[in-house]
Amino acid sequence: MQSWRQFLKENWFFLAVFVVLVLFPHLVGWLTESSPFGVLRGDRYIMRGESTLWQAILIESFALSVLVMSYNLMFGFTGVISFGHAMFFGLGGYIVGMLLEFPEFAGIDPALRLFIGLLLTIVICGVIGLGIGFASLRLRGVYFAIFTLAVAEMVWIYFSRFDRTNGEDGLTISQMPAWIDPSQNRLALYYVSFVIFVLTFIFIRRLVNSPTGAVFKAIRENEDRAQAIGYHTLRFKLMAITIAGMFAGIAGIIHAILQKSARPEFLNVKFTVDSLLMTIIGGVGTFTGPVIGSTGLYLLDNQLRDQVVTIGSTTIDIGDSWNLILGFIFVIVVLIFPYGVVGTYQRWRAGRKNKS
Amino acid sequence: MQNTMLEITDLNTFIGQFHILEGVALSVPAGSITVMLGRNGAGKTTTLRSIMGLTPPRSGTIRFHGQALNGKTPHAIARLGIGYVPEHRAIFKELTVRENLQISARQKEDLAKSETLIFDLFPDLKRLIHLPGGNLSGGQQQMLAIARVLVPNNTLLLIDEPSEGLAPVIIESLMEAIRRLSAEKTVLLVEQNFRVASKLADRYVIIDDGHSVAHGMMTDLVQDAALIQRYLGVA
Amino acid sequence: MQAVKNNLLARNLRNSTWTTIAILAVALLIFAFVAADGNISTFSITVLSGLLRTMLLFLVAAGLSLIFGLMDILNFAQGAYFMIGAYIAYDIQHPERGFITFGAAIPDPNLRFLVGVIAAFGIGTILGFILERGLLRRLYDRPLFQLVLTFGVSIILLEGIKAIWGTTPYTWTETMSLMTGSFQVFEQPFSIYRLFIIVMGFILMVAVSLLLQRTRLGIIIRAGVEDPEMVSALGINVRAVFTLVFTLGCALAAFGGAIAAPFQGATISLGSTFLLASIAVIVLGGLGSFEGTAIASFLVGLAWAAMEQFSTRPEVATFWASVTPMLMLSLILLLRPRGLFGGER
Repeated sequence: MQSWRQFLKENWFFLAVFVVLVLFPHLVGWLTESSPFGVLRGDRYIMRGESTLWQAILIESFALSVLVMSYNLMFGFTGVISFGHAMFFGLGGYIVGMLLEFPEFAGIDPALRLFIGLLLTIVICGVIGLGIGFASLRLRGVYFAIFTLAVAEMVWIYFSRFDRTNGEDGLTISQMPAWIDPSQNRLALYYVSFVIFVLTFIFIRRLVNSPTGAVFKAIRENEDRAQAIGYHTLRFKLMAITIAGMFAGIAGIIHAILQKSARPEFLNVKFTVDSLLMTIIGGVGTFTGPVIGSTGLYLLDNQLRDQVVTIGSTTIDIGDSWNLILGFIFVIVVLIFPYGVVGTYQRWRAGRKNKS
Repeated sequence: MQNTMLEITDLNTFIGQFHILEGVALSVPAGSITVMLGRNGAGKTTTLRSIMGLTPPRSGTIRFHGQALNGKTPHAIARLGIGYVPEHRAIFKELTVRENLQISARQKEDLAKSETLIFDLFPDLKRLIHLPGGNLSGGQQQMLAIARVLVPNNTLLLIDEPSEGLAPVIIESLMEAIRRLSAEKTVLLVEQNFRVASKLADRYVIIDDGHSVAHGMMTDLVQDAALIQRYLGVA
Repeated sequence: MQAVKNNLLARNLRNSTWTTIAILAVALLIFAFVAADGNISTFSITVLSGLLRTMLLFLVAAGLSLIFGLMDILNFAQGAYFMIGAYIAYDIQHPERGFITFGAAIPDPNLRFLVGVIAAFGIGTILGFILERGLLRRLYDRPLFQLVLTFGVSIILLEGIKAIWGTTPYTWTETMSLMTGSFQVFEQPFSIYRLFIIVMGFILMVAVSLLLQRTRLGIIIRAGVEDPEMVSALGINVRAVFTLVFTLGCALAAFGGAIAAPFQGATISLGSTFLLASIAVIVLGGLGSFEGTAIASFLVGLAWAAMEQFSTRPEVATFWASVTPMLMLSLILLLRPRGLFGGER
């Protein structure tokens, strides 16, 4: 009984968020008087209305959060900097996309193909992660980061010129199993991605708080010392890089299903740097930081895209200058929130506690 | 009353969250060799680094010829005439011996002026002048590190553990060089090796756990077996 | 004894570095020869194109390498400075279509080009100085954040360029006497302008090496690459040297963009293309080593040109050519984890 209370006390915030997110599609539906299932036209639903719109926004946020959390596991908790993490994200999308689209797999049931795609993503991303991880045996710091950049860049160049996935335009996925198709049954995709998001969050939190996580952090602080104490640091780095790669691949699948496409720009280093920035802005080495960083930036992007601001006689189309605004956000956050939003908040709170 | 060259009072220095120096005080009279003694991690190196402004102190005062050094940048402090020979020598391995000396010159003619003194003290260096610093032996590197601070007209030399990792014969000749230097320069030395220190220095300061716990004339310390045993752990 | 051993080790490393380079260079030349179907004139053109690539890469990588070596900052904005240089030189050369119109007052296109290059260098200097003094300086103890900051700045600069010049690529149309000529290499033409870029690159290479090897500033920079703290403890204002080198690095990139503009025009993708390839080059050469950067530029440039010749199908050739820097980088890093010249640090 006592421990249950303790659990509630420590985790009330997460539980509250969990409950809100479970109810979220219905909540929005109720508030805006739209159905969470969309609008019924004949025998199928059309994805119209506020609720389904917000579901899409949240699905994207979940996918990005999983990606950024996985990046944070490697970068924030283990201290391994990679410039190639988006490769896993993009690959997840391509694997599922090719399985669903390529005619040679047409004989297999689509749901099964999706499942195979998930397994294949985990296996392939795991194997590539392992391979890249082994390079970290010899490559440290910037050299490792640039090595991952090189590998990811090659994969990106390959897919942006691969005819069967339409090169730079990317692969459009039309053969989606109906039960998870975001243009027919978005609510299912919402809950699937929500479950994946929650599981990832819990998994990473438990992993980092376990003895294994303690070694991760020891490696981050000083790899040589961790090695000197007797830890087989390569094994732990391999573990962090591989697990991070797998989660990024899964995040990529959600993203590809929602977008119904797999595109080369999500393999690119630019996208890795985006997730790096989301990690830093949220707070490196915190649990909620990556979620807040990725969701916050995505929501800002999404909400500001179509806004037009008129100040006096000048009209600024925010969508057009979004990248510029993003650039300023980076610079300002880096200068003002040196530990990211969550990190700075935690420090501020700790400072207040110390004083009182 | 001797003229005090360096005067430190109540020095507090933090590295990250760690309070390394908790009120170090010491004074170095002009023309002396003062040695800082104490166990590993007591704060000797941090004291030198605080003087140089490399780990700026949080509070306390450091006065050099009566002028406060607090808040000054390392290069400004060095330019007042303080030469720093850090632990592990820290010579530039990719630069030749000559370039290692050149970089230290503050005026064009500094190197030409000091050359005689340097090669007189360390004749080896003359022979090695075009070799990269990284190709020198440990003892030669230490000589170069000391020679480097002799190029400009420094009046105070801070030397951190010059004997570390060197063979006794080489230590002997290094100490001889430092003794000869002290005719013109004031020296503040960190030295773990008590035997070496006791022969060289005329004054001592003992640092223990971030505090300066004792100071005085070396001749007195050598008599005081209890003090030596307590803080230095050598009989 | 230990020291002697270390010396031997260092010498061996150095020897094996040069052996590796020699093997790579010979292999690349053979490959280029085979790719040219053994045709000596095609081969010569390949080598010349390789040199052109080398110099274009080097123009960005030189500054990147100096900055990283001294300050441990991977300056992501370097590509943006290269682009700014290209746009400024373009705009001054073509007053009728651009944003800057004073170029119209200079009738001679050659002189206009010179003015454009100088202006690009000047603007690069100013913007580099602002970035270092205004922003980076606040973050010296947080290298990771410097990386993020330079990335943010590169976005801002790119958007700034888009706002001023739009997104349409500009092709150089003004003819200068420098651009019209060509000469024959075994009966194949090679434009004088390309040779000009090669020569400029060489001059820059020699000039920076002389600066590093022969001047007091050079000694300070090389010492700072090893141990900036010690340099400051010797009475040198290392922060001022940082500012100077960073500014110079940015100015060099802008200069490079301007020099190369008549050849490749001004487009908004220039920056990222050259930035990534240049990062590959400086890492391949060994971070912090200027000679490594120069040599790696040659190796990558030559490999690039050879790869372009390698297949008759253009899409295959461009694919392999664009993968080349990354491919070489990842393979060489696996063999030599600190690049060609990074082993001794």
